[in-house]
Amino acid sequence: MSGFLQATVYGLLQGGLLALVAVGFSLVWGVMNVVNLAHGGFVILGAYVGWEMHEWFGLDPFLGMFVSAAVLFVFGYVLQRFLINLVINGPIFITLLLTFGLDLMIVQGMNLVFSADYRSIKTSYASNSLAFGSVRVPLGRLLAFALAVAITVLLVAVVNRTRTGLSILATGMDRGAARLMGIRARHVYALTFGIAAGLAGMAGAMIGTVGTFNPSAAASFTLMSFVVAVLGGLGNMYGALVGGLVIGLVQAWGGQYLPGTWVNALAFLVLIVVLIFRPTGLVGRAFYAARQEV
Amino acid sequence: MRSRTLAVAVVITASSLVVAGCGSKGEAKSANAAGSGTLAIGASLSLTGSLAREGVLTQEGYQLCQEKVNAKGGVDIGGTKVKLDIQYQDDTSKPDVAAQLVDQFNDKGIKLILSSYGSANTEAQAAVIERNGQLMVDSAGADNKIFSKGYKRTFAVLSPATEYAASIVKAIAELATPKPKSIAFLSADDGFSKTVTEGGMKAAKAAGFTVLDPQYFPNGTSDVSSALTKVKGQHPDVIIGSVHLVEGVAIIKQAKELGVTPAGFGESVAPPTPDFAKTLGAQAENVLGSSQWTDATKGTDKYFGTAKDYAKDIQAKYNHAPDYHNAEASAACLALVLAAEKAGSSKADAVRAALSGLDTESFFGTIKFDSTGQNLYKPMSVIQIQNGKALTVWPTESAEAKMIWPGTK
Repeated sequence: MSGFLQATVYGLLQGGLLALVAVGFSLVWGVMNVVNLAHGGFVILGAYVGWEMHEWFGLDPFLGMFVSAAVLFVFGYVLQRFLINLVINGPIFITLLLTFGLDLMIVQGMNLVFSADYRSIKTSYASNSLAFGSVRVPLGRLLAFALAVAITVLLVAVVNRTRTGLSILATGMDRGAARLMGIRARHVYALTFGIAAGLAGMAGAMIGTVGTFNPSAAASFTLMSFVVAVLGGLGNMYGALVGGLVIGLVQAWGGQYLPGTWVNALAFLVLIVVLIFRPTGLVGRAFYAARQEV
Repeated sequence: MRSRTLAVAVVITASSLVVAGCGSKGEAKSANAAGSGTLAIGASLSLTGSLAREGVLTQEGYQLCQEKVNAKGGVDIGGTKVKLDIQYQDDTSKPDVAAQLVDQFNDKGIKLILSSYGSANTEAQAAVIERNGQLMVDSAGADNKIFSKGYKRTFAVLSPATEYAASIVKAIAELATPKPKSIAFLSADDGFSKTVTEGGMKAAKAAGFTVLDPQYFPNGTSDVSSALTKVKGQHPDVIIGSVHLVEGVAIIKQAKELGVTPAGFGESVAPPTPDFAKTLGAQAENVLGSSQWTDATKGTDKYFGTAKDYAKDIQAKYNHAPDYHNAEASAACLALVLAAEKAGSSKADAVRAALSGLDTESFFGTIKFDSTGQNLYKPMSVIQIQNGKALTVWPTESAEAKMIWPGTK
């Protein structure tokens, strides 16, 4: 029983972290119909920024992540405004190819600048854990989890309550109509992409604190984001959170009761089963699929 | 929506195939052994992709060997000194590309090959080498499986996979007081790590330990929490990981998070890598690890001198402490050079005959091959992280420090 409880707690925490990684990916896909294959690269880049901040200025990663977010926001904004916007009207394959190329460049660039050495942002407390009977709750992961939930709630509030957020939503639903209403779609797209990259950067700093990273880890985060976004469903800001938590739990429970090497297969199996019964994902909305591309 | 998702999946698969297909980067210079005063050797290396870190260390080892040999005038082939010319190609950490590159070298007439990094790449290469009548010295493919297929043209300078965890078990059995009773193995699920686990479990049973059921997790994962949760209730005295760096770091980190506290941790491959202690800091203290080579290894040779000399050369040239991946690469290159000199020829068949009879001391220890091409004559060293440094604690005759036990406080 304590094994089950421990697996559940750990799975939830791990799922929160996955959600934070995937939330930006889901946002960009939902609003702009861009599957950003460079997303994992953004995550790792954020981890490096957090690492540098910690190494050079002794900045705690839970503060350093705001620097990561800021740097990545600017990077994402510029990338979208001046590069991806050029092909945004093309078929999805073109943006897919473009972001795939970007990913190769970002990963190889990080290999050159930071080398392929494995790193971790060391703190005195992240590996400590709170003990509840026989169940341990690791502090670093708990903080990251709380952050993931807070960010998601904040994102929902921003999107639903602010003018900027509403313009993001409107552009995502019908770009033509949004333009007619005076929304500057280019700016809104760049803003969306910037926010997504910033969130990826934050997630990266967290990953760097509780785990290890090097440039080649980027691909696995892109893949995980893809799974989480599809599973949770697009068009709903809570989609990534739900998807992340489900994947985290499935992997933890699967690891507990099945041979440990089956966990990835199990995660994809759950994805397939969910898509059979709910093609739009667990909490996704159908109307996003039928939107007008103008 | 569904068709779009499908299309996306298709494109991702297709693009990764394309990348695998055009993985080789850069053109090798066309040089040949005959008449040009150079001895051309081909080396496919994992310079990008998931094995980039180890691939670069391997390249450093090959490169240092080339410089050392050429600084002494080159390889003495039948009285004529020819310069060593190692040609590198990037296999992007993919076995199929590594194998293709061996074919490409063959097309250029290059018959002598130094292996890529890791068992998967080397295994793929070995089959091609055999077919083409080339000759390969393997620097980093330790899986015994490579040598169970009857190949005659692949020789490994390093100790086989079965020794990695077994040597840690032997060190603990010999040196740990109070002697632990039970051992749990946590293992990645790639062929190499599984062979490491099998060898370790066999040695543990032979030494009288209670061996718990091994727990496997996907190769390259950074989350081993399920395996740790499973063994936590069984309270093993020792946890041994058959892992690479990522999983090895994850075991130590997550064991602390989950409150798993055996008397000691041991891990193959990860602890001797400088990144291990750097990444984990204080948590790395007293973790045991097995290493193909340390700078306390006994032996000397004419090109590199002693292990200490080798360590100095790596530090001076590459500005980092030597890693055993450097050393095994240099040793593979050394074996090929010594065999070519002994054969007095650069022809693959003649060098092969010389290699199979090679029996020499070197900075890497004994280099000698059994009938399958493995080097069973060199013991592995067991190191322990003490004050952030990997110090040799076993075998005792080359120990730099006493083993601290129990390793976890």
